[in-house]
Amino acid sequence: MLTELETKLLGILMIIIMFGMGSSLTFKDFAIAFRKPHAILVGMLCQYGLMPFIAFSLAVLLRLPPEYVVGLVLIGCMPGGTTSNIFTYFSKGRLSLSILMTVCSTLMAIVAVPLTLGLYSRGLEGDWGIPPSEITKLLFVLLVPTLLGIALRKFNANAGAVMELVGSVFGVLVIVFLLASWIPRNWALLMSTGGSVYFVAIALGLFGFAFGYLLSRLMRIDSIRARTISMETGIQNGPLAILIVSMTFLDERQALVLLIPILYSIFIVLTSTAITFYYRWLTLREEQARDRAKIGLIGAGA
Amino acid sequence: MTLGSDLPQPSQALAGASGAQAPPPRGMPDAPPWHAQYGDIIPRQLPPPPWPHLPAALRAAAQRYGAGIAFTTVMPNGMYGSLTYAEVDRASDAFAHYLRRVCGLEAGDRVAVQMPNCLSYPVAVVGILKAGCVVVNTNPLYTPDEMKHQFIDSGAKAIVLVDLFADKLESVLADTPIQHVVLTKVPEFFPPLVKQITYGVMKYWNRVIPAHRLRCVGLPQAMAAGTRAAGGATVDAYHAGATHDDIALLQYTGGTTGVAKGAMLTHGNLLWNLSQVQAMTGSHIAEGKEVVLTALPLYHIFAFSVNFLTMYLAGARNLLIPSPRPVQRVQRALENYRVTWLTGVNTLYNALLNEEWFIAFPPKHIKAAAGGGAAMHQAVVQSWERQVGAPLVEGYGLTESSPVVCFQPLHGERRQNTIGIPAPMTEIRLLGDDGAEVGAGEPGELCVRGPQVMAGYWQRPDETAKTIVDGWLHTGDVAVMHPDGTFQIVDRKKDMIIVSGFNVYPNEVEDVLSRHPSVLEAAVIGVPNEKMGEEVQAYVVKREADASAAVLEAHCREHLTAYKVPRKIVFRDELPKTAVGKILRRELRKEVLGGS
Repeated sequence: MLTELETKLLGILMIIIMFGMGSSLTFKDFAIAFRKPHAILVGMLCQYGLMPFIAFSLAVLLRLPPEYVVGLVLIGCMPGGTTSNIFTYFSKGRLSLSILMTVCSTLMAIVAVPLTLGLYSRGLEGDWGIPPSEITKLLFVLLVPTLLGIALRKFNANAGAVMELVGSVFGVLVIVFLLASWIPRNWALLMSTGGSVYFVAIALGLFGFAFGYLLSRLMRIDSIRARTISMETGIQNGPLAILIVSMTFLDERQALVLLIPILYSIFIVLTSTAITFYYRWLTLREEQARDRAKIGLIGAGA
Repeated sequence: MTLGSDLPQPSQALAGASGAQAPPPRGMPDAPPWHAQYGDIIPRQLPPPPWPHLPAALRAAAQRYGAGIAFTTVMPNGMYGSLTYAEVDRASDAFAHYLRRVCGLEAGDRVAVQMPNCLSYPVAVVGILKAGCVVVNTNPLYTPDEMKHQFIDSGAKAIVLVDLFADKLESVLADTPIQHVVLTKVPEFFPPLVKQITYGVMKYWNRVIPAHRLRCVGLPQAMAAGTRAAGGATVDAYHAGATHDDIALLQYTGGTTGVAKGAMLTHGNLLWNLSQVQAMTGSHIAEGKEVVLTALPLYHIFAFSVNFLTMYLAGARNLLIPSPRPVQRVQRALENYRVTWLTGVNTLYNALLNEEWFIAFPPKHIKAAAGGGAAMHQAVVQSWERQVGAPLVEGYGLTESSPVVCFQPLHGERRQNTIGIPAPMTEIRLLGDDGAEVGAGEPGELCVRGPQVMAGYWQRPDETAKTIVDGWLHTGDVAVMHPDGTFQIVDRKKDMIIVSGFNVYPNEVEDVLSRHPSVLEAAVIGVPNEKMGEEVQAYVVKREADASAAVLEAHCREHLTAYKVPRKIVFRDELPKTAVGKILRRELRKEVLGGS
């Protein structure tokens, strides 16, 4: 369970994170990016087509009980997380595409999340469903700081860039906050939880990376952009899912539903780090190959 | 040491007679043909600059525009810091006091400035001039050996250096005469939190700031020490005795032809040249209202004279871009400010025109753009004027002439592919190999006389004597004059390719190549050939992956005489360039010939 104070604190953190995320670009950046929308459209397809479907399929294949299904599908339907930008930077991916995808999926969330969540949680028994209207309301509240952030970046680049940094720092703080406050209190629950829950919490991100990359390549995206989209697909806005759950389930059910979103949020940091090293190595190798080809060309030209 | 302004000026006498736009009286057939193109807009005659030296001019501007913003450094992510005219004035006073009272420098001592475009640059340069010292502009991308040569040659006693290159200085400092090292940061003078974040990102994230053990003082500490030492005195006494004939700037050049030489540019040279630039561009400059994008480095003479001095005196706001490559780094500056003027080289304009964000939303407030440093390609000029809707005028100049000699006029019709007409008070002669003036329409070496021509090369009288003959600066560029007085550079004397006795000018071939849509950039060089003496080879950076040598060759055949068509077209990912983005044919030749 998160206490009322913790839920409020999480809400405030989310507002700051959203404000910082919005501050990372301007409206003009969107207008420019959508002149060649291929990559971004593929990215959105991965974000809202692929990820919810992976989450749903995992739930069906492993025959998870509804209290876990709701958390898993909710994570699958979330927009991209802000930490993806940091990982993309370190993996030498396309930072601008990563930022754009995060902001785009967040702006789209107000429509896309209720739709996908409604679609994939239709079969849930009992009262485990999350009412779409609640999600819409919350996302609308979070849309405001995002839009304000975008405007700020244009209006005062110094304040915007500072907020962008503050948002990234708080994005990391949220995870630390969860680790420090939630894990010790739920130690017993974590110990008694079955392996399949841990498996899906880790696998969702990994499958997101893998299928995000494959689908992008299939749609003729170049390898470096495909890796960026892959990273963006796998990394979801976990804290947002946690906030939604803690505001929807106010009774003892909350602890069970929260399990997968929280485990996902923690494990995704570890899997993303591993993937970052791998992608960075791939990118460097490609760069070296290109350099060698260039030297060969100079030799041939002489 | 003679100075242009002291030389008899034939055009002065002439303009005096023809003053007030009256047609030149009969019996004065010597009226240069380009005067007709000045129209009512460009004065034929300029009064001598009203200031005795640069500090007086800079102080007058600071008093006039005090609270206006003089400089804004814009980082790639849009973070920025600004200095007003009054702040530049105060900070440079403090720095001048530091040089004279704390370091104990004397008038005429040389002080090196080595940094990319940032707020410390104007503070350091104005401070050095106010101290009565000589600025030694130094390219921060120099290797330690090049730095060593320049510091020893100039006899610099102090340096203001950006911390990015502190390790390079440390490695050669002991071999140089430098006694005082002042260190600064790119985000110096930024607002507090923004400064720390920008610096933190550079140091810990991008890791571009090296560790070093230099004995040095930070610029802010140096300024504070200077102010304390001055105890309320003014800086006026430091430069009170300066005249137009005193050296203000040692601008190194010719590193390309051999060893780098310091062109001695005097207060008079620079003041005259900025008057000349003002005369050529004044119709498009509203005092106190312009916003200038300075992506070219200020340590280059073009940006120094045109962007810094001329625009400072016009009360403009200068947007300083520390590092404009890749060109995406100027995006925030162009988006967040109403840029009205910019200067650049062909490669910069070409790069901008190949950016999605630039083409989608070309800046709306540009009044004019100036190109120089290397020949502009017509395809780039036409595309720019179509996209931006403002003239892009090409100029011509050299380090040795402070630098502006010619500019295309902003008003009226422009003859494309030329360097325009000489600035007022500038005389030009085209000399043939025999040293005599060539006939009408024939190519000859361009020679310049005027108040902007340097006093000579620092401590190199024989080099000076070879370059300035009877007051005429020999440029090494081959030009022709059109009947209307417009000049066209044919090429560098030494870049000319001779194919079976026919002259091929690389510029012409490059221009044709870059008109082809699949070509991003092209460089053309001559390579030894047994049968023909030399053969033309082209090195091309593709815009589209599917360009083929056969297609380009056909394109060249269509537009060029057979002997000018490249024998070989080689595709490359990039071409060697100077710090300002000039394509280095010589480097390319070295790579190609050395690698075989």
